[in-house]
Amino acid sequence: MSRHRLTVVLSQAPGKNPTKRALEESIVAALITEPGLDVSVVPYLYDLDANHTGRLFLESITGDMVVLAWMFPRAAFWVLDRDGIKGHFGESRLKPPAADDDEEDGEPEPPRGIGSVNVPDRYIYCLDLRDFASHEPYVQEVRRIAEECRQRYEAKQRERAQANPPLVQLGLSVRADEPPSPPPLSPAAGERGRGEGAPHFKPEDLLKPPERRWYPVIDYSRCTNCMECIDFCLFGVYGVDQFDRIFVENQDNCKRGCPACSRVCPEHAIMFPDYKTPAIAGAPVGGISGLKIDLTKLFGGDDAIKIAAAERDRELIKDGRQAVGLTVGIPKRQAAKPQQPKDDLDKLVDSLDALDI
Amino acid sequence: MDNLTFMMGKFPAELPGDLLYATTNHMWCRPVGSRYRFGFTSYAVRLMQDVYFLDWVVNAGDTVHHLQQIGHIETSKAVADLFAPMAGTIVAFNRELLKDPSAINVDKYGAGWLFEMEGDARHLRTAAEYHQFLTDNWEKTQRLIKGKINLED
Repeated sequence: MSRHRLTVVLSQAPGKNPTKRALEESIVAALITEPGLDVSVVPYLYDLDANHTGRLFLESITGDMVVLAWMFPRAAFWVLDRDGIKGHFGESRLKPPAADDDEEDGEPEPPRGIGSVNVPDRYIYCLDLRDFASHEPYVQEVRRIAEECRQRYEAKQRERAQANPPLVQLGLSVRADEPPSPPPLSPAAGERGRGEGAPHFKPEDLLKPPERRWYPVIDYSRCTNCMECIDFCLFGVYGVDQFDRIFVENQDNCKRGCPACSRVCPEHAIMFPDYKTPAIAGAPVGGISGLKIDLTKLFGGDDAIKIAAAERDRELIKDGRQAVGLTVGIPKRQAAKPQQPKDDLDKLVDSLDALDI
Repeated sequence: MDNLTFMMGKFPAELPGDLLYATTNHMWCRPVGSRYRFGFTSYAVRLMQDVYFLDWVVNAGDTVHHLQQIGHIETSKAVADLFAPMAGTIVAFNRELLKDPSAINVDKYGAGWLFEMEGDARHLRTAAEYHQFLTDNWEKTQRLIKGKINLED
């Protein structure tokens, strides 16, 4: 029974902020000496395109993984999912100091989304590097996760050992004797040559600065495949896969800075990890902290759909196309919704409508 | 002019009588020389509660139209975009708040000021008029908005 190893990937901040670099370096320095960990560094996750060595490296990791990145954990997790680097969402216990822990409203809502597909049996834990200024909380949490993964792995090994022997004797299973996947190489740790045939990633390729990118990221734990985003976006960003599931097909068709589709999404499933508004950047919603009330309308703003249409018009005009305002791809959910009982948020929004301000 | 108090349920929102008010923005306004200094009213701060993050999307010196988006805010209870309370030029932002926005909660009518503008202040209202505006709208909203916030208190 081979020992369980955990891959830790630190995704650098874009740019050269010295404070951020210092935190990154101190985390790596602290983790690199920990037993059972393979530590690597890649550039900003969101910017890695399909050809970047950092992306190929991430794709080569088969076991449990911790990803430390300068974005909300939800955003990092679903960026990876879109890139085919899938797993179960590992629950981090790391909470930013400001998080209100006294506000738990009981059970978190069960996920309503369609979920991801072809999820391998491993866990991906995402930690937000913006939460703490020092490396200690991160190092402690990685240790805790490593222990959690090790216990899960050993429990599975025991289960397998109990379930499989008769099958092995009958020659029906080839899986029981199969060793677990070899741990991936870890260029940052300077370890090389382990594993058979795994590609070798040179640190300088791994860390080659990528171009900045801008595209939506779908949280499939919330996405209900309603297709409002594909109707709304007029730039060909969205498509459907072979299972008729919405996905971000042409990421780089997206218009830098424009978060309009995120505003029309009725499930708040679309994230832009670099957008300034936390709710759009993938801040935790539901569950413990509860959805924050959007008071924009109270402060004199238009509603989200109008803002989204204006943002889209701006991009259409930049492309030399006609502005379409509210005439194209505006959610028809108003027509479809009335039969559903209203929840608190609907009522709140209705009340703001009634204000007529 | 007398200070007024608007009762948000049990919470008294103080409205200093010597200030003007941008009702739809829930901001107060204090004329300072040729400038108008703006900040959040007690009513707005009570709804939002602790300010975590304040960000401006225009620069000092920019000309803005009335209700143009100028920034956004995240608090313990809410997120909101912020809009220009009048047409004109934003002359200065309160830079202290960008380092630490807590003055908005601690001293909303003083050190918690947001920005200063020059421009057309004609549609700003008195404390009495803002009080009336809040009264007219509170009936419709208090059960829902404040009810939701209190649930989470």
